[in-house]
Amino acid sequence: MNNQSWVQQSLALFRKDLLAETRTRVAFGAMGVFSFSALLLISLAMVGLKGVMLQNSTGQSVPAWNNSGKMSLLWVLLCFAAFAGLSHSFVYEEETGTASTLKLHMMPQAVYAGKLLFNTTVLLAVSLVITPLYMVMTGMEAGTIPMFFTVMLSGTVSLSAVATVVAALAARARSTGALFGAVGLPMLTVLLVLIMNAARQCYIRSESAVQYVRPVIGIVGFGVLIVTLSALLFHFIWED
Amino acid sequence: MSFWKIFLAVLMAYVIYGAFNIAHGAIGFAEKGVAARIIFFHVPCAVYSSVAYLVATWYAVKHLWLLGGPNKSVEALEDSDFKSATAMELGFLFCILATITGSIFAGVQWGSFWNWDPRETSIVIMLLLYASYMLLRTAFTSDTAKRARLSAVYAVIAVIPSIYLIWVVPRVLHTMHPTTTLSNPADTSLSYKLVLYPSFLAFTLLFIWLMQLRVSSSKLLEARKKRRLREMEAQR
Repeated sequence: MNNQSWVQQSLALFRKDLLAETRTRVAFGAMGVFSFSALLLISLAMVGLKGVMLQNSTGQSVPAWNNSGKMSLLWVLLCFAAFAGLSHSFVYEEETGTASTLKLHMMPQAVYAGKLLFNTTVLLAVSLVITPLYMVMTGMEAGTIPMFFTVMLSGTVSLSAVATVVAALAARARSTGALFGAVGLPMLTVLLVLIMNAARQCYIRSESAVQYVRPVIGIVGFGVLIVTLSALLFHFIWED
Repeated sequence: MSFWKIFLAVLMAYVIYGAFNIAHGAIGFAEKGVAARIIFFHVPCAVYSSVAYLVATWYAVKHLWLLGGPNKSVEALEDSDFKSATAMELGFLFCILATITGSIFAGVQWGSFWNWDPRETSIVIMLLLYASYMLLRTAFTSDTAKRARLSAVYAVIAVIPSIYLIWVVPRVLHTMHPTTTLSNPADTSLSYKLVLYPSFLAFTLLFIWLMQLRVSSSKLLEARKKRRLREMEAQR
């Protein structure tokens, strides 16, 4: 163990991963292609609903394919994209045998922090590309702009927190790929319920700020709790 | 056969009898209140589907605590692991029972077997969480210590989504479920309390008994597996 602090160690790991990513572009490429295809599939599947109006229970006519619906599907897409690409960060350390080097030279918490930082960066980049494309292709509106950005940002960060810890768990098991999705998605479903609840607020004109803040606290709290517990327990996952 | 198991048999028989003959038809429920009789089985199952998760987490934390501690006895580690896994399996079982009884109740009372009520949503996600825990365990075959350690970590981390499911989601979103049946005794009539409270006791005892049986059977299976491995090594 060298005498760098864990912050320096995790930043070094982050730089290493980022450098490897700029050379191979595996994670970004996989998630990009995956989510773009999913985006096309969703837009094609829903093209028939464009302009269709429905009557709700109060007799008002509302679009069948509305903004909250579009937002929910965007999040389903991002969840699956995260699970398509983020397992890579731990799996390739095991595959190339570099996991042992990391175990020798770095604190487990620094590995966790570095990987979390890297995964969050990649996922943010992907959602930064995919969200505007999705908005153009499906005609989704942003609604209340600050709320929209808050939901997107807090959702993406929490999503990458869940995906990172499940990726670390699954990388230690056999048949990693299928397991990763099956183990992680039930946990993400809860987050998705919270995000959809918050996303609905983007499209509701509300007088009080509480209406906006409460669902966001739900998402941020979820992410913070996951990160805290993962950091506490990471050495059980990482070390033999 | 210990005394409390006979007591459990009598108690469960009383609950089944009482559900149909002691409790009166409840006002405001379908089929002249007869539909409400299912709550003597539905509510304890639903409560135990969450309690089981807390029990599982308790033993998962104990397992990790023992791993971090100075004296790592193999028996104690194995014991906490099996208890955690068993509680998860029982949670899965009670979750299925609560979902089925709830769906029947919803079909009769609300007119549709599935309404996307927040509690219905949370119980299916809970079911998925239990299933993914069991799935994670199947991914480790040879290394039981690693399986125990990693599934304990998963159990502890998945506490966050389950707490959200059990307490936060049904309170944040609008639910059709009554929320005061248990927390406010004045809302429940005497003939219901006479059956519902014994029913909780019966389900508690049933849970403990199932847990004991399953833990000892998994220990026996594990011991047999180890013995076979030793025999195979000896033959070589």
